[in-house]
Amino acid sequence: MQNAGGPDFAFNGKSASALTFTWSAVDTGVVIISIDHPFDDVTPAVWTRDLVRRFGKKNAVDGLDLSIRPGEFYGLLGQNGAGKTTTIRMIVGLLRPTSGSAGIGEFDTWKSPLEVKKRIGVLPEEFNLYERLTGAELLDFTAAMHNVPKKEAVARRDDLLAMLDLEADAGKLVGDYSRGMRKKVALAAAIIARPPVLFLDEPFEGVDAVSARLIRRLLSRYTELGATVVFSSHEMHLVEKLCTRIGIMSHGKLLLEDTPEGLCRRMGVETVEDAFIAAVGGEDEEKKSLPWFESSPA
Amino acid sequence: MVRELAGLKARLFWNGIRADRQRRIGLPLIAALVTWLAWTLVTAHIDQLTTLEGTARNEYLAWAALVIFVAWVALPVVIFPLDENIDPQQLATLPIPRPRLVAGLIAAGLVSVPIIALVAVVGSTVAHRAGSNLASVISLPAAAIFVVMAVAGSQGFTTLMSAVLHSRRGRDLAVFVIMGIGLASFGGYQLVRTTVDQMGVATAALSHPLDYLWWLVPPVAPAHAVTAAWDGRWLEAVVAVVVALAWTLLIVVGWERVLRWLLVTPRQESAPATARRKVGFSRGRWEVPFIVARKELRFYLRDPRQRLVWTGTVIFVGLAIAAIVVGSDGFARFRDRDWLPMVAPVLVLMVGLPIALNQFGWERNAASYLFALPARPRAVIVGKNLAAMTGLLVETLFLGTLLAWFSSSWRWMPLLLPVALGTICCLLAVGNIVSILTPLRLPREGTDMFAQATEQGLLALLSQVISFFTIGLLLVLPASFTVLTVDFGHVISPWVTGAFAIGWGAFWYALSLGVSGWLLHRRVPEVVGWVQVY
Repeated sequence: MQNAGGPDFAFNGKSASALTFTWSAVDTGVVIISIDHPFDDVTPAVWTRDLVRRFGKKNAVDGLDLSIRPGEFYGLLGQNGAGKTTTIRMIVGLLRPTSGSAGIGEFDTWKSPLEVKKRIGVLPEEFNLYERLTGAELLDFTAAMHNVPKKEAVARRDDLLAMLDLEADAGKLVGDYSRGMRKKVALAAAIIARPPVLFLDEPFEGVDAVSARLIRRLLSRYTELGATVVFSSHEMHLVEKLCTRIGIMSHGKLLLEDTPEGLCRRMGVETVEDAFIAAVGGEDEEKKSLPWFESSPA
Repeated sequence: MVRELAGLKARLFWNGIRADRQRRIGLPLIAALVTWLAWTLVTAHIDQLTTLEGTARNEYLAWAALVIFVAWVALPVVIFPLDENIDPQQLATLPIPRPRLVAGLIAAGLVSVPIIALVAVVGSTVAHRAGSNLASVISLPAAAIFVVMAVAGSQGFTTLMSAVLHSRRGRDLAVFVIMGIGLASFGGYQLVRTTVDQMGVATAALSHPLDYLWWLVPPVAPAHAVTAAWDGRWLEAVVAVVVALAWTLLIVVGWERVLRWLLVTPRQESAPATARRKVGFSRGRWEVPFIVARKELRFYLRDPRQRLVWTGTVIFVGLAIAAIVVGSDGFARFRDRDWLPMVAPVLVLMVGLPIALNQFGWERNAASYLFALPARPRAVIVGKNLAAMTGLLVETLFLGTLLAWFSSSWRWMPLLLPVALGTICCLLAVGNIVSILTPLRLPREGTDMFAQATEQGLLALLSQVISFFTIGLLLVLPASFTVLTVDFGHVISPWVTGAFAIGWGAFWYALSLGVSGWLLHRRVPEVVGWVQVY
């Protein structure tokens, strides 16, 4: 099915209304997308400038400078509490920074929140969805809020539900969905408006292998066509497979930033997982032990 | 284990105060309010105990015990409680023997602010005859048993209500359960008040004996133990203590059974998918305000908590009917007035308060989903207002029709719509701003429906009280116009009153919409942070 129009994107003053997709062959589980993206390489798709968020005496995010280019599949890695979710919440406008700024393209999140939100899709770590909407209603609601024309929204909704194997459960309340189903419907909601920037926090957690493969292909294709994906995950093999660039955060700061290959080369290791562990000092953590745990359980 | 659970409650309570600004500000206010309530109750109670003698005093105490017990048990379900229960689901995987679990939950229930009122009234009863050592030996355990019985009964009842709401059919029936509680409470209150007004406390107590049923009515048993001890009937007093203890154990066992079922039974899913629901929002208007309004209206029907709030309407309808049936003075005076339907907007206004003054709290965690979407804040507010207005208008017209039927007068019904519109606009004008400045954090839905109830934030309660009076102030002029139209010589034409009500409401609403749209634009992170349920 041909999709015309869509959100009116603009980066550096250039209209992105020509961002068009073709969704087809849904029955085979393959979505082919064509895109005519407007991004140039000068304006970053996602950026933060000296971003700080303090909770009490602790700096959850501490002077973070990020610059993610259009079309990048950017992996944001870090241990628990490193500041990844806090960073994403500040970029999307849900958490006010203590200082610094963040934005999408030419728009500052805190000066033009509406313009930023028109350009993003968010899959949060916690499912903050409307549990008392059905899956179909949730997708309609999201599309309407993004100003997607009704006819177009209905077509995309049906395609997404079919592709993610949620068609039979379209009339069930989201609150009655399993964890994996919620994740899938949340992802569908994040992409239904075809935003040029996607923020995905642990998108594959709890998703079955078949759907996960489908989503991976969809996202890869999405970035090939010019969209930007900011991806946070603890599954290193996925990060290695999908991301074109990786940023490693620790204690609110950006420790390292490079391509997966570059990271491995810099840390002198084989895999991104090893590079990550080396970067955050996890090798020292591995030496820790629990002597009382070493004997047979009582 | 009991000590640990009581400690857990105390720790949750303390950490909540430390971490939550709403609680820090609101707790002293609520503590003062509860203390004032306790003082008022104790003063009146001691007056009665001092004035009454012999059988009249015993009957009074039996009735007082019953009323306090029923109020303590039922009120948390009818109104949002000021206390919170520990959610048993969070303890379900821990190796806690069930008797210790319920004992611990009871002990935890004693760590709260509202318990001040209960303990004060019970304590003052025991202290009333503190002179006799032997009487005190009986009275003290009887009083302790009564407090435990009330706390166990209260938590048992909320667990029972949670169990009712656990099933699909139960969620549908909840409306009628709440209506029943509301009706019974109001009817009972009216009955007692009318009887006491007509006969005085002593005669009313003597002519409606309850004390002789001490072995059958659980809360009366400990009261009987106290009065028997005061009268020197030691053996009867000891037996009454044993009976009270047995009733308490029975209540605890019943509660434990329901809890056991609740912890291992999954919540029943929503109604099966239908073709209509599969189409989502794809029929009807597609603009943001309309989509938000339709989402809200669906939530009113699907969210048990919102449904309970809207059930308030039914309760108010029930109250009106009950008042007329019971024939209390307040309502009976209006029964033959042809303007009775015009009372409907005022009653519905009360029902609309929890929604209108807290439009974002109901979003809970979904607020962070909603506000990541690119909708203009003003459009979101208008959508929410549209839903509230639709609901309130339907309720007003329903209640107005009912009151017109009771008063057999339909004369002023045409005026009802414009007056209701103006009233609702004033309500929303204040509600929009309050909803943004002090959004109320609502509890997450745990196993126990009433767990974590104080998460609602006490500061918001204060702002809502102030809002209530502000709305009242805004309504002075339209109310005056209405009164001068329907009574006092009908000096103002209904056309003028109707037009004025709509114009007045529209003016304040438009003004508020401009301010609240601007405020929400600036305060999205704060609103999200306040309503987020952790």
